[in-house]
Amino acid sequence: MSTTVTQDMSFLHLISSASLLVQLVMLILVLISLSSWWFIFRKLFVIRYEIKKTDEFEDIFWRGVDLNALHQRIISSRYESGSLERIFAAGFGEFNKHPVGSDLDAVMESTRRAMRATYQREMDYLESHLSFLATVGSVSPYIGLLGTVWGIMNSFRSLSSVTQATIAHVAPGIAEALIATAMGLFAAIPAVVAYNRYASRTDQLATRFESFMEELSNVLQRRAAE
Amino acid sequence: MNVSVLRNSSPSEPRILLAGVLALLVHLIFVAIMIFGLDWKDHPPEGMVVDIWTELPKPIQEPVKTQPPPKQLKPVPEPVKPKPEPEPPKPEPSKPEPAKPEPVKPEPVKPVPQKAVVEPPVKKPDIALKQKPDPIKETKPDLEEQKKKEQEKIKEQERLKELEKQKELEKKKELDKQKELEKQKELDKQKELEKQKEVEKQKELQKQKEKELAAQQQREREAKAQREAEAQRAAQQAAARNQVTNEISKYKALILAKIKSRIVMPPDLPGNPVAEFNVTLLPGGDILDVRLSKSSGHAAFDNAVERAIFLSKPLPLPPDPALFNEFRNLNITVHYRE
Repeated sequence: MSTTVTQDMSFLHLISSASLLVQLVMLILVLISLSSWWFIFRKLFVIRYEIKKTDEFEDIFWRGVDLNALHQRIISSRYESGSLERIFAAGFGEFNKHPVGSDLDAVMESTRRAMRATYQREMDYLESHLSFLATVGSVSPYIGLLGTVWGIMNSFRSLSSVTQATIAHVAPGIAEALIATAMGLFAAIPAVVAYNRYASRTDQLATRFESFMEELSNVLQRRAAE
Repeated sequence: MNVSVLRNSSPSEPRILLAGVLALLVHLIFVAIMIFGLDWKDHPPEGMVVDIWTELPKPIQEPVKTQPPPKQLKPVPEPVKPKPEPEPPKPEPSKPEPAKPEPVKPEPVKPVPQKAVVEPPVKKPDIALKQKPDPIKETKPDLEEQKKKEQEKIKEQERLKELEKQKELEKKKELDKQKELEKQKELDKQKELEKQKEVEKQKELQKQKEKELAAQQQREREAKAQREAEAQRAAQQAAARNQVTNEISKYKALILAKIKSRIVMPPDLPGNPVAEFNVTLLPGGDILDVRLSKSSGHAAFDNAVERAIFLSKPLPLPPDPALFNEFRNLNITVHYRE
């Protein structure tokens, strides 16, 4: 950001003439904003990809494909698999490990535990960095405000040496101080919006995963009983 | 084996780099908006330029007037024309040479010098004739005759010389007489002139005296007029002051009446307490500040009056804003009993 700012002399002058603390605040805010936007786009791609994969897998699963073939396909191409596919692979693999005729309750319990563990891991993966977006959304306005208050304090302190105070004495200082607030808000607003959106999307995914887990355990239990 | 496989199957995040590039892009767009949308330092000058343009139309006409100056620059060629004129002077220096006999300087035209050239030869012969006759006379007669003639001539010359001397003496005498006469005449003239001068001086003095008298009279009249005008002005000013003071007192009474109408008098106070307030007003009748300058001794009465003052906002003020200075700081005294 600072490199592109050099293109405009007045804008650069406004930032370069700010006090050291304000400049530091601005630098921190620029870094925060950059990383928050980076995470926003990363999570956007991840969640979109997961939703797409989940839709595809549920579509295939409920069409009544052979579960063994599906399991083999997922394991062979596991790096392109989605969360729900991995949960299915974990549960189905655990179910198949048990020999035929063993205690049904124990088999179903271990299958459920395996799916649960994978589900936790997947949710952890989906929700990673969302807390960072929440932190940015709540803290960066305060950081910007700190820079602004400091800058305005300085510009008013310089007024004390002037006998006849005019707006012109204070205006540039306030303008450059307000840039810090603008930066903080610029970092915070998209972070908050993205956090809320992504949190609801991951919640939706979590419900879909859990319901699928229940349904799969039912399917497996029926299959073991047959 | 399967467990380890599942654990290692940590999900690969898609398109991390693309996300970073997009984040940078978003910031670039934001900075561009900041620079092109918020360059507030560049806009005020443009506004100034617009203001100047509205006043420019007249200056634009002036430039049109300044274009004529190029036409005035043509005068520069005109100064060049004088150069041709100086050329005639060159012939003029040549004229003086023929014009020596009778310098006819005033006529610079070429034809004139030609005439001048013609005339001098005519006059030179005259001079030559006067000089030549003497040598001619000396050469013609014989030697004896010449001698006699010379003696006679000498005698005649002597006589002539004597005669001439007598004539000269007579002339001198006559000249002296004439000079004396002239001197007397001049003296007479001088005396007459002096007399005339004296008369003129007397006349001038009389005129000056008259003028001075007239000026004094005028001054007196002007002074009288000024005094009368000043008196009138003073009267007018006094009248105006009276009006102003009347209006001020009238509005002060109005203000006091309005305040009194709003007072909720606390009941049963002993005596006739007086509260004095110092009220600072804003133009328009708004109250800026109310200070209790002298308490009545009863807090209830003071508070009631203060409340009434605030309630009677806006206070009635004269429409003439010049009078507001009289109302900027008002002293309001309120008596408990009228």
